[in-house]
Amino acid sequence: MRVPTIEFSDDRLPNGLRLIVAEDHLAPVAAVNIWYAVGSRHEPPGRHGFAHLFEHVMFQGSAHVSKAEHIGLIQSIGGTMNGTTWLDRTNYFETVPSHQLELALWLEADRMGTLLDALSQENLDNQRDVVKNEKRWSYDNRPYGSWWERLLAGLFPPGHPYHHTTIGSMADLDAASLDDVKSFFRTHYAPNNAVLSVVGDVDRPQVRAWAERYFGGIPANPALPVDLGDHSLPPLLGRERREVVADRVPLPRIHWGFRAPVYGDPRLDALDLAGQILAGGKGSRLHRRLVREERLAQDVTLFSMGLIGGPSIAAGWATARPGVDLARLEAVYWEELERITSEPPSADELDRARALTEADELGSLQRVEERADRLSMYATLFDDPDLVNRMLPRYLSVTAEQIRDACRDVFRADNRLVLTYLPADQASGDAEAAA
Amino acid sequence: MSGPRSTVVAERPSPGEPRPYAFPPFERSRLDNGLSVIAIHLPGRPLIAASLVATGGVADEPDDLAGATVLMARALTEGTERYDAIELVEAGERLGASIHAEAGWDSIGLSVDVPAERLAPALDLVEEILARPTFPETEVERLRDERLNDILQARADPRRRAEETFVRAVYADSSPYRRPSAGLEATVGRLDRAAIRSVLARRFDPREMTLVVGGDLTGIDVPELAAARFGGWQPSAAARAVSATDATPAARHRRVVAVHRPGSVQTEIRIGHPGVARRIPDFHAVSVTGTIVGGLFNSRLNRKLREEKGYTYGAHAGFDLRRAAGPFGARLAVATDVTIPATLDVLAELEAIHAGVTDAELTEARDYLVGVFPLRFETPGAVVGALASLVTMGLPDDELARYRPAIEAVTVDDVAAAAAAHIRPAEMAIVLVGDVDAFLPELEAAGLGPIEIERDPAPEPPTEATDGDAD
Repeated sequence: MRVPTIEFSDDRLPNGLRLIVAEDHLAPVAAVNIWYAVGSRHEPPGRHGFAHLFEHVMFQGSAHVSKAEHIGLIQSIGGTMNGTTWLDRTNYFETVPSHQLELALWLEADRMGTLLDALSQENLDNQRDVVKNEKRWSYDNRPYGSWWERLLAGLFPPGHPYHHTTIGSMADLDAASLDDVKSFFRTHYAPNNAVLSVVGDVDRPQVRAWAERYFGGIPANPALPVDLGDHSLPPLLGRERREVVADRVPLPRIHWGFRAPVYGDPRLDALDLAGQILAGGKGSRLHRRLVREERLAQDVTLFSMGLIGGPSIAAGWATARPGVDLARLEAVYWEELERITSEPPSADELDRARALTEADELGSLQRVEERADRLSMYATLFDDPDLVNRMLPRYLSVTAEQIRDACRDVFRADNRLVLTYLPADQASGDAEAAA
Repeated sequence: MSGPRSTVVAERPSPGEPRPYAFPPFERSRLDNGLSVIAIHLPGRPLIAASLVATGGVADEPDDLAGATVLMARALTEGTERYDAIELVEAGERLGASIHAEAGWDSIGLSVDVPAERLAPALDLVEEILARPTFPETEVERLRDERLNDILQARADPRRRAEETFVRAVYADSSPYRRPSAGLEATVGRLDRAAIRSVLARRFDPREMTLVVGGDLTGIDVPELAAARFGGWQPSAAARAVSATDATPAARHRRVVAVHRPGSVQTEIRIGHPGVARRIPDFHAVSVTGTIVGGLFNSRLNRKLREEKGYTYGAHAGFDLRRAAGPFGARLAVATDVTIPATLDVLAELEAIHAGVTDAELTEARDYLVGVFPLRFETPGAVVGALASLVTMGLPDDELARYRPAIEAVTVDDVAAAAAAHIRPAEMAIVLVGDVDAFLPELEAAGLGPIEIERDPAPEPPTEATDGDAD
């Protein structure tokens, strides 16, 4: 099997907007995707959660679009859309019937150029309430819901831009003002801080002409790029960190977190394959041992998340079966992580991990929306959109020894955070025992 | 600071000429033993999706075996006469094939996504798994225990708790829709290998099975591949017709079931009653109605409760269409202190839909459903899934081809008739999962109907015992 090469054009408008276009006429569908190089790591102190709140404000209207009309228009033409905020970036995207591409470009340009013309205190307050409910729903009212906040807080020191989550804090959300929205917009939402990718049933010269027509009059911000300073950290945590959390959960769960190589480092590719071999499906080492054979765990995971502004994260968890000895669960999980640091995976394990990675890649890239997102991502984070074609060969060339070595660098006792969730009604005694 | 002003184009672009779209044509054939085969050639799609589905699913299982069908699907890939579980998963992985068994309310199926050149060996695995599963006792026990643990987890998760309470509040004891599809403790606890073998045997009849294969089929003869593998299958001795599903409502008056979770920061709200079956004459009007009430971002519910009031991250409503009447429900989570105002707003919107919808609302919903149709079928997996569901629902072959014109033909009057027939606020169950004590007086004062309260034992105060620096 060969994953088809994605041909694309890559150039910039005079105002710095990077435009990437890939034609694919299989389906009458076009995907528009904009990445802005701004995420929660760019938030000033006291404004944690602001980048994400701002993303919501982007759907509240601009000079020629009324509140909620952006989404209404896209849906009424049979399109889908959303925006998401992450530590390193914010993205906005629409997938539309291809004869409606021009409307999607116009909508994105109107808010990039004129968001502040429509900004109101009322809309900001409304979206602040919506976001606070999102936080309650996604974190506060969910079993084990605080694990991500605790993981980031434990792996990155206070003051580091990755110390806090994108959802932020209730107090900071309350503090966000119209002036914050204005200055954030003027600083970060400029064409020279954005990548616009268009993929699907489109015509490249036509897309270029429309991009010039709609985005061409939006001025660059000459003060970009924003310099956040050096936020590199030592590659290791330096010592083990442990935390025990009492929560309203019926089954204990142990979470692990590690500092990992920065996104783009080939060792992170090796770590991704290690995640497949250790916890990708029921033939994987951790699943076999913890879930099937020893029956200590109800479920088990291990994965990595690439970050560009400091170390990345490797993380995983295992949910205990009722009544199991947590010390045993933790020890067995750890044994499997240590085992791969000494014995490289077998040829068969590696072959299977490669075949699955290849099929996954082929599956994801089938959709124009995913292709557009990847092009924007690789251009924004690495100035190299062609990684959309080169990541798979990179994964397929990782060797067993590279996997072992990457695991050896990361899965170390002095680099681990261990977060144990205990049912609140059993926690008081156990937590002391664990101390 | 303020730099130079942006110049943007005020005038909205008008759409280009739409490219004609038709749901991809498919070829249907039948093997000598009655097994149906559907092949859809999708040029340029090298990742093939294949699905072998049997009509009849969870809704058809006997009450005393509730949960057996889902457990059977989970245990199906735990071993065959030729391979043990690990050999099976490894064989699939070497092909880069992900194989999933699934049990739905109305069907059971085994699906695989696989690169075209490895379709034949992937279908060999499908055949082996469905025809000769061994259901090892020890793995069945493990999966059963995992489901029992999952039931504990569901109880602790406000969303899953709300869903489970909702279906229990909506359907009578006699209906299988009253329980989660994976079953509850009383029956799951006693499921064993014999039970799951029996639910598979009930459904194992090639005359009620269909193989659907979609993707770039250049050089691939699907009927021939199917005949070589599935042509020898015979109905099991225990095979039987799918039984009719009881969807009797629990009550025909409005009532409240409140689940008290002390200290919850949000209330999960579910409001509804049994809806309609998939195979009804006014299906297209029902789809448009559901879209206007709670499907679109600018639906009645989301516009009011999110964009006007800021009560929720999102409010949705819709019909869950099954062979029999699946639930119609509104779903949202709100901050505890606005639980009752939000509940009243939802009821008011569900009532207001009976006063009719505007032409603009109708157009927006119709245009959305018509326009998004090609987007839904971008990948082989989606096309195959839609055709498999068409078969298991017993719908005609031209159902998808005539979907768009039928949606375009829906009128304001059709929506009014659908709303009057299928959305009845006076008969709805209202489920509130949250810190009930915080809103109980307000709830009682609202006069929404009889109130039943389930109380969980109070948890220990959520103190945090932490020892960040211990070694």
